[in-house]
Amino acid sequence: MLASDGPDEDWVRRAQAGDRTAFSELVRRHQDGVYRYLLRMLGSHDDALELTQDAFVKAWQALPQWQPEAQFRTWLFRIANNTALDALRRRKLVEFVPLEDGFDAPGSGPDPERQGQATQEVRQLELSLKRLAPEHREILLLREVEEMSYEEIGRVLSLSEGTVKSRLARARAALIEIHARSRP
Amino acid sequence: MSVVEECPRTEALSALVDGELAEPARVALDAHVAGCAICAPVLAGLRQLRTDFAALPAPAPGVDLAPLVERRIAAAAAVANPKAASRSQRWRWWQLAPAALGGALSLSLGAYLGSALVLGSQATGQATTLQMAAFTAVPPGALCPAARACNPRER
Repeated sequence: MLASDGPDEDWVRRAQAGDRTAFSELVRRHQDGVYRYLLRMLGSHDDALELTQDAFVKAWQALPQWQPEAQFRTWLFRIANNTALDALRRRKLVEFVPLEDGFDAPGSGPDPERQGQATQEVRQLELSLKRLAPEHREILLLREVEEMSYEEIGRVLSLSEGTVKSRLARARAALIEIHARSRP
Repeated sequence: MSVVEECPRTEALSALVDGELAEPARVALDAHVAGCAICAPVLAGLRQLRTDFAALPAPAPGVDLAPLVERRIAAAAAVANPKAASRSQRWRWWQLAPAALGGALSLSLGAYLGSALVLGSQATGQATTLQMAAFTAVPPGALCPAARACNPRER
């Protein structure tokens, strides 16, 4: 077997048996995704770098509890997400206000003229993401950047698929609203 | 029923963008959006958002984190299991035992040889004292010009 061949699960089993080299392979496979996610959750390169390492250390310590039914990536992102929320709590940047249910916003969509301004929109998107509530930011990043399915997102955030569906819709609407407000 | 109530909620449009709607619901929603002045721009906005997300840069840490994580794991293990650390320390003492034994033997040998030298020098010193006495018959340097000079009884 080549050094980096095989599915994650094979490497996880080896790591579970105490093989730190196998775990290093898993770190190399997933460090970019975890870092990218934490960077957008926390907005700081240094914090993201530090917490990416923290997340992997926690993953190593929790490896005995990992079950083959769980996809390693979603399991790892669950740890990374909890690490991010802990850090945000410590920073007191998070106010756990219950999200409004039953959001419905037909007619509050963006101006169609905004289409075609992709580059500017991308710049604005980075800024708008930072203003979004962490509960909305996390679910949007998992869906749009990490391209996880509703089922995978549910596993990462401990939510039912129905809740994932409704929270994603609210997160998108909130982001579009912030986006629209920030337009000159 | 008002127009707003007839329009699907954003939730359904969001799921449509994600491809998470089952076939009959998706076809019905597509047909509705095609002719709805309210839902069409909402769906367009959601799709634009998806396009913008896809264009986001993908930052990377720029370093291999595996060795750093490895070091942290080792440090955390040492903190969590100090008994193992002390066990390894005791093992180092055992490893030093041959050297300690060799050192002790060297010291003993040194002490033995040292004491032998001291005893030898004491015996020599006694003779010298006798020889250097001011009124002895043996002259300084124990040089006797003749046998009788050093042993008067033989005279």
